[in-house]
Amino acid sequence: MSIKVYLVDDHRLFLAGVKSELAEEFQVVGTSRDVDTAIEEIRGYRPDVVLVDVHMPDGGGIAVVQRVAETTPDVKFLALSVSDQAEDVIAMIRAGARGYVTKTIEPEELSDAIRRVHAGDAVFSPRLAGFVLDAFAGAIPSDEDPELDQLTAREKDVLRLIARGFAYKQVARKLNISIKTVETHVSSVLRKLQLSNRHELARWASRRRIV
Amino acid sequence: MSPIEIGAVDRHHLSVARAPGFELTRRRSNRMIAGVAGGLADSLGVSDAYVRAAFITLGTVWGLGALVYLAIWLAAFDRVADRDVEPVGASRAMGLVIAFGGLMLLLGVIGWWPNPAVVLTAGALGFGTAFLADSSKPGPLAAIMDPTVDRPSRTRVIVGVVLLIGGLTVFTTTIGQVFEFGAVFLAIGLTGVGLVVAFGPWVRRLLIDLSEERNERVRQEERAEVAAHLHDSVLQTLALIQRSEDPARMAILARHQESELRDWLFGHAPLDGVDLVSTALKQAAARVEADFQTPVDVVTVGDLPVGERTKAVVAAAAEAMVNAAKHSGADRISLYQEVGEGVLEVFVTDQGKGFDESSVPIDRKGITESIRSRMEKAGGEVEIDSEPGEGTEVVLRLGL
Repeated sequence: MSIKVYLVDDHRLFLAGVKSELAEEFQVVGTSRDVDTAIEEIRGYRPDVVLVDVHMPDGGGIAVVQRVAETTPDVKFLALSVSDQAEDVIAMIRAGARGYVTKTIEPEELSDAIRRVHAGDAVFSPRLAGFVLDAFAGAIPSDEDPELDQLTAREKDVLRLIARGFAYKQVARKLNISIKTVETHVSSVLRKLQLSNRHELARWASRRRIV
Repeated sequence: MSPIEIGAVDRHHLSVARAPGFELTRRRSNRMIAGVAGGLADSLGVSDAYVRAAFITLGTVWGLGALVYLAIWLAAFDRVADRDVEPVGASRAMGLVIAFGGLMLLLGVIGWWPNPAVVLTAGALGFGTAFLADSSKPGPLAAIMDPTVDRPSRTRVIVGVVLLIGGLTVFTTTIGQVFEFGAVFLAIGLTGVGLVVAFGPWVRRLLIDLSEERNERVRQEERAEVAAHLHDSVLQTLALIQRSEDPARMAILARHQESELRDWLFGHAPLDGVDLVSTALKQAAARVEADFQTPVDVVTVGDLPVGERTKAVVAAAAEAMVNAAKHSGADRISLYQEVGEGVLEVFVTDQGKGFDESSVPIDRKGITESIRSRMEKAGGEVEIDSEPGEGTEVVLRLGL
């Protein structure tokens, strides 16, 4: 049974292109170009993975992720956007997306990312890995939950290799660990990114925008 | 019911239903000055506006209103921060009332009681305004200032003009009598109200229009700036793409333009007057993309201003990128820069064919040697990690 995928993007051409690219391998159960239709149809179709654009009218991808999560938490989201701005990336991940890739991604990589998200893992592009390292750099742990506010040395190693452009498989080999362990580390970073209440994350993202 | 709940209910009870026993209070929120008038209004169960009018009227009696206000304020002053309402103790309230009565009596006895006409007009004006502005009824004052009113109705003009003339008349007949403050206030008050009644909507609309016009001008300037930029960059690139026959070249042009537009739109431009290592590396990467038509993914963590030594790192990284673009056969190059504790590291990585250090062709060796010598001169080090079929990674490391 192939993975059920749903696409949300307000650009018709892009939607058509991605749909035809994915049609061979996945079951594309639906597409929509606005937030409200998307939320309604995702609740109805219950796809496995939703590819969602970040910038759309009426709240954008963040609204879709948050509102679907309220009723159907088992749907997984992969954000797909032309924007690789820090604040967009961080906001989507914090809203609950399990990964973030830019629209320049190669079709095979996209398929790979969908499978990974479906399996419950996280998908970090080199750029996202860089953002996370930057955001957690020089972290002074807060009193409430220091574990959530810092990356372990191993997690940093994994992120650095991803930022350097290595695929998970290569990361695993370089660190002499299994791919599963790499995935575990990345998922753990994703969790920290979503749950950490460090003010630095938001502040860091806005600082990058202002520069 | 737990003790906490009892407390909460009690406090609620205190602030809302205080009907039977009179208790003087002072408000902590929804107040004009110190919440004295509001508290008094709560205690008396009347609209704030009337109490304020009373204070203003009393104020014309040698500033008595201000004195009373101050007295209540002081009596109701304590430092419990989280209370919304400040109660004044019953004995203090009683003391205040007696002192107030005494003061009035004293003024009467000494004969310092001002002209009753002044007090009366001030009172009439104050309470009149209070009536108009009474928030518990639909506000006539707000209606007078309604900016959507298009043409003045006849009544409006007549009332406005009458008030205006009345104000001016009182003003001219009392001018010179310096001590008739009350009359002067009355004159100013009447004139002001007359003006508001007659011209209120237009004054307000004028103000609204002015700010809209300013916003519109700002918007137009922004639009002009965007148009100029798009013309210089995006339109030029689109023209180049239309004239180009080579798809790879088109892709590079588009990609280059995309990153430039992105930087412009989202403001990733470097700080004024400071060149950053990350910016220099991105520029170097963009040159490699343009020259060799191989995309370079740049990821940077942390940053540094460009100095003599870091310049060498940027140059070395540029050579490493050129090397990868020319020889690796990879379809993309990754550049990762990180400023850690006391060290700048740059990784130039490709997934290309890699090489065996011993069998490097001579021209390629030249380039790697040049990378090495640059880094060594700057006091840094180079590490090259490559195996045939496994891609190549050049690591540049500079202690800071």
